[in-house]
Amino acid sequence: MSQPLPAARSFTRPQPNDDWASIAARELPDVPAEDAVGMLQSWNFHVFMRPASASGNTILPSDIIFLEAPAAEG
Amino acid sequence: MLDIAIRNGRIVDGSGLPAFIGDVGIKDGRIVRVGRITEEATHTIDAAGKVVAPGFIDPHTHFDAQLLWDGAAKPAIEHGVTTIVPGNCSLSLAPLKAEHRMKLVGMFNQIEEMPLKAFKEGVEWNWETFDEFVTRIKKDLSVNVAPLVGHSVLRLWVMGEESMKRCATADEVQAMQKLLAECIEAGAVGLSTSYVDMDETLQPVPSRYADESELDALCEVLSTHDRVLQIVHEFYDADLTVARIDQLAALSLKHGITTTLSPLFVNADDNGAVDKVMKRVKEQMAAGARVWPQVQTRPIDISFCFEVPSLLFIRLPSWYAIMRFGSHEDIVAAFSDPERRPALIAEAETEQMNPLWSRLVLRQVQTDANQGLVGKSLADIAQARGTGLVETMIDLSLEEDLQAHFLSADMGHNDNAKVGALLRDPNVHIGASDGGAHILSFSTYGDTGYLFSKFVRDEQALGLEAAVKKITSDTAAIWGLHDRGLLRAGFAADVTVFDADTIGRGPEYYVQDVPGDGSRYVRDATGVDTVIIGGAVAWSEAAGYTDARRGQILPT
Ligand SMILES: [Zn+2]
Repeated sequence: MSQPLPAARSFTRPQPNDDWASIAARELPDVPAEDAVGMLQSWNFHVFMRPASASGNTILPSDIIFLEAPAAEG
Repeated sequence: MLDIAIRNGRIVDGSGLPAFIGDVGIKDGRIVRVGRITEEATHTIDAAGKVVAPGFIDPHTHFDAQLLWDGAAKPAIEHGVTTIVPGNCSLSLAPLKAEHRMKLVGMFNQIEEMPLKAFKEGVEWNWETFDEFVTRIKKDLSVNVAPLVGHSVLRLWVMGEESMKRCATADEVQAMQKLLAECIEAGAVGLSTSYVDMDETLQPVPSRYADESELDALCEVLSTHDRVLQIVHEFYDADLTVARIDQLAALSLKHGITTTLSPLFVNADDNGAVDKVMKRVKEQMAAGARVWPQVQTRPIDISFCFEVPSLLFIRLPSWYAIMRFGSHEDIVAAFSDPERRPALIAEAETEQMNPLWSRLVLRQVQTDANQGLVGKSLADIAQARGTGLVETMIDLSLEEDLQAHFLSADMGHNDNAKVGALLRDPNVHIGASDGGAHILSFSTYGDTGYLFSKFVRDEQALGLEAAVKKITSDTAAIWGLHDRGLLRAGFAADVTVFDADTIGRGPEYYVQDVPGDGSRYVRDATGVDTVIIGGAVAWSEAAGYTDARRGQILPT
C-alpha cells in the first residue's frame, strides 16, 4: 500500500487571488519571471484561452494548473 | 402470511454468484426469505422463466425537479430502477433561499437543459432548507431517493452573489460546513461539485470559485458522516481527468471517504485517453483510495430543434447566441435575413462542424408536406433539393416553424468493444445516465436495459450475474446504501423481475408530458415484468404504475 505512485503530469492548485505571475514566482522560482509566465500559459491553454470571468481573472480557484508540458505521445 | 411471494424465478441475487432457481418472500417491506417458500402470500408472482434481481440503482440523475410533480420519476421505475441519486453536478434544489430560486432555475436550464416553463408551472416553491425539501418530496414518493447536496447551492446560500466571484472566507467555509452537516442529517447521501459547468450567463457556476481548502473542509464533514463526494471533471481532457483523479484520491485517503467522477467517455478520436485515465484509477485504487469513474452504457445520441438551445451549437457563437437568448421570432428572422443567413451558414460550415451536419437525420416534423422526409439523412435531402447541408437544415426549420427535429446518432462512446471492457472493469462504476436532464436533447432512460441487450446479450462483454451486480450491490456499496442491492433476508424489498432474453430499451420518442406544456425524449422498457419497491409492486407490465408509495430517502 505504501508503494509510491508512478509520476503523472505535475500540477498545482491556485491560492486565493493567484494570477500567472504569482504562480510562476512560487512554482518556477529559478526561471526568469516573463519566461515562467509564458511557460505556464502554454501548458495551461484550458485556463489561459478561456474567456475572462465576471471577476476578471481567468484563473479560477478550483482550476488545475499544470507545471510541465504534456508527455510526448508514446 | 407473506405480503408477496415471487415463485420459481431464476434468482440473480446481486452478489455476482451464479443464478439459481428459487422463491423470494416479502413481508413488511423486507425480504424475509430466499429459497423454497411454502408459506401463503397475499400476492403471488409467477416468475418461471424470468430473472429475479435486486432493484437497479441509478447513481447519476437530475430528477430533482421532476420529483416535485412525479414521485415515480417516470419512466425510471418501469426500466427496473428502484433507487435514484439526484443532486449531481453541484446542483440540487435545496438548500435554497427564496431570493435565489430564479438563479438556480437559470443554472438548471443552462446546464441540465431543463425547460424554464416546467419550473414556473410545475413547481410550488414551498421549501428552503434541505429538510423541508425532503419532507416535501417524501409525501408522494414511489421510487427511493438518495439525494446529493450541490456545492454551488451551498455557496449560494452562504455567500449569495459573492459565490460567483471569489473564494470563501474562513467564516463562510465554517457556515458551509454547518449547512452541509444539516443537509446530511436531513437525509443527504453526499456532496456534488463541478469543475466544468457554466450558468445561464455563461459564467462559471459557484462551485468553481471554491479553492482547495474549502473542498477539503467540506470533505471533513463528509468524513464525519461517512458520505460520498461526486464531481464533474474535465471529461474532454485526459491529463485534466488524471489530475482530478489524483485530487480525489488525496481527499479519499485523507478523509476516508468514497469519491466518484462522472462522466467518463470512450472518445473515438482519442482511444488512448480512456486507457490513460483507467491506468491512473487502477493505481490510485491499488494505493487504497476510493475513486470511482462512472461510465454510461449508451452511446451519445443528440437530438435538437431550433426551438430550444442545444449544447451541440455551443462552439458556434452566433448560432448559440440566437438559440440561447433569441425568441422564436428572432430565430426565424435571423434564418430569413438575406445578410445574417449566409453569415450563419459560413460560421457553421467548418472542417470541425461539417462531419456533424453530414451525420444528421431528420427525425420529426409537423407539416404533412415534409412527412415523407422523416428518417432521411440531411445529406440525402440536401442532395435532392440541390442545396447545401446547413442551408437545408435552415430551410427545413423555417418550413416547420422551427419544429424540425434532427438526430445526431453515435456522437461518441460507441466503440462497443472498448465500452464493454470498461463496463466489466472492477474499477468502473456503471452510471452517469443523467436521468431527468437534457430532456430535449436525448432520452436519459433505459441505460440499464441497454446494459443487458447490448453488453450482456450482443457483445457478451459481461455475464448476466456480473451485470446485475454492477448496478445493484456494487452501487449500493459505493454509495453506502447498506440494506440495498442484494436479495437477502433482512434487506429492503426492492426487486426487479425481468426476462433476460428481451430486456432492453425501446425506441426514443418525443412526448408532451412535462408541466408547462413541455415535451421530452423518452424510451419505454422492454422485457421488464414487475418492479417492487419497499415491499409493494410499484409497476408491472400488466398493470402499469400502481398506487404504492413506498419510496424512501436513503440511506436510512
Ligand atoms: Zn449530471
